Amino acid sequence: MPGVRRARLAALLDRYAPPLAFVALVLVWEGATRLLKIPSFLLPAPSAIVQALVATPLQVWAGHAFATLRVALMGYALAIVVSVPLAMAFASSRLLSRTLYPILVVVQSTPIVAVAPIIVVTLGASDLPRVVITFLITFFPIVVSTVAGLLATPEELIELSRSLRAGRAREMLHVRLPFALPYVFSALKIAITLSVIGAVVAEFVAAEQGLGFFIAFSTSYFKIPAAFAGLGVLVAISLILFRLVAFVQKRLAPWSLPKSER
Amino acid sequence: MKRLVKSCAALAVSLTLAQFTSVSARAAEHVTFMLDWLPAGDKAAIYLGVEKGLFAAEGIDVSIRSGRGSSDVVTKLATGVADFGTGGLAALLQAKAADAVPVKAVMSLYTLQPDAIFTTTDAGIDSLKDLVGKTVATATFSSSNVSWPLVLKANGVNPDSIKLLKVDPGALAPMLASGQVAATINWVTVAPAFAGPLKEVNKSFKALAWSNYGFDGYGLSVFASDRMLAERPETARKFLKAYARATQMANDDPMAAAKALKAVVPEVDVNTAAEQWKASIPLMVNDIAKKDGPGAFEPKLLATTWKWVAEAQNLPIEKLDPETAVSRDFLK
Repeated sequence: MPGVRRARLAALLDRYAPPLAFVALVLVWEGATRLLKIPSFLLPAPSAIVQALVATPLQVWAGHAFATLRVALMGYALAIVVSVPLAMAFASSRLLSRTLYPILVVVQSTPIVAVAPIIVVTLGASDLPRVVITFLITFFPIVVSTVAGLLATPEELIELSRSLRAGRAREMLHVRLPFALPYVFSALKIAITLSVIGAVVAEFVAAEQGLGFFIAFSTSYFKIPAAFAGLGVLVAISLILFRLVAFVQKRLAPWSLPKSER
Repeated sequence: MKRLVKSCAALAVSLTLAQFTSVSARAAEHVTFMLDWLPAGDKAAIYLGVEKGLFAAEGIDVSIRSGRGSSDVVTKLATGVADFGTGGLAALLQAKAADAVPVKAVMSLYTLQPDAIFTTTDAGIDSLKDLVGKTVATATFSSSNVSWPLVLKANGVNPDSIKLLKVDPGALAPMLASGQVAATINWVTVAPAFAGPLKEVNKSFKALAWSNYGFDGYGLSVFASDRMLAERPETARKFLKAYARATQMANDDPMAAAKALKAVVPEVDVNTAAEQWKASIPLMVNDIAKKDGPGAFEPKLLATTWKWVAEAQNLPIEKLDPETAVSRDFLK
């Protein structure tokens, strides 16, 4: 009987430990700011952040969240459209891979924050520069991970497909790509959170709307609780998008998930 | 048959409406206006002008964009991202001397420099000399940083005797309120936003305006791209006329200007915004502006503005004729 009780306790702990840890963290934070009398402009208490969150009208949040979401999703979609075919090309051609891969590494190694103002000046004041900045931050992990997945296909599968006289395109689409799906989805999960970061970086450089703009705006007025509230909304959006990609993976390619997650 | 007639009639009405819409769209000239920083009370005039239909009355449709500093505005105008903008004249003179950018100042707004030292009453700072041995924070990309050592030298203070910290603009008030620095460098128009953090720690605000320490020259001005001025001179004239009128209206009723800003940027606190506009009025309405007329660039004060910039940048004074950086043709 004690064994059953212990197992039940372990199951409960497994289920509720993450939210309890979060609540404990918030309580410690709230307590520390009250006990130590930390001013809100240094570290706002969670209650002050919630107050700022509620004080800002819903349509204001909706407007900013939509602006950030729009740019993040456009940049993300562009990254997928470019990265997956590019990865397939890299996996098919060693020459192409050797020629273009170093350029991609250079692009990835360039601090986008430093280049962002130039991109804005070059591409104008529309959504385009923001989408391009998001794309630049997002596309690399998808390319690298997809190439790794495509090249990791077991040799016997490739040999089998060739023995059945499958062409290179068929081999890529029907053998390598399905095998690479776990890699692709891992990258897509990383990239979706990066796309939100990319949109915010772009909004810090030039924007009239968006959560990045809202945070910059709030700090310029020294409204730090409001800036933290903006940050909270951003984190929530990132988490929701992450879960959405996970949901898509579960629905479309459940076999690409580890057994415990199917 | 009836249905056919109805469809034809609907089509005719749609076409007429589309035609009408496109004509009116063509009638309103579109211009893009770039603020030198994020929307705030001291930039409320343009919003008031749009709300009151002053630009529309001149046949101009204005899109307002926020910039990231005066130099950013000069760059955006030079590259055609915007048609008009506001910025510190020093930034334009500096850019002109370095690169002959195709941008001109077409209307002066601040005839007094807006730069100031912000401190608290308990810090014991009553003059620039009291800053010796203290730490002062400034925004990393502030145009004030260029003139700061010269203002100190002109007042007999060795710039090396003051520790200057360059930080994000959003950190300035918290650093002052928490006592990490004895003072910050800001434009006086920002002062109302410091109230919140200082109140929280029961400190009182105090400002030392650089204009009281011999720092003369034009501050915020309206810029326009050379392309705009060459291709649409009439629009430029009309735009400045409406902008001057909007500025006057905002001076007469700062709360109305703040509300117009709030209508477009709902995050703005109306009272703070109104205070910010009020703080900017003495920079625009003063003896210099009264003597030379609104919007004017008086040659001597213009030359003084350039002198400060040239000295600060270690440039020979003859490197730029400041007259080439302004155009007075569009205020007529």
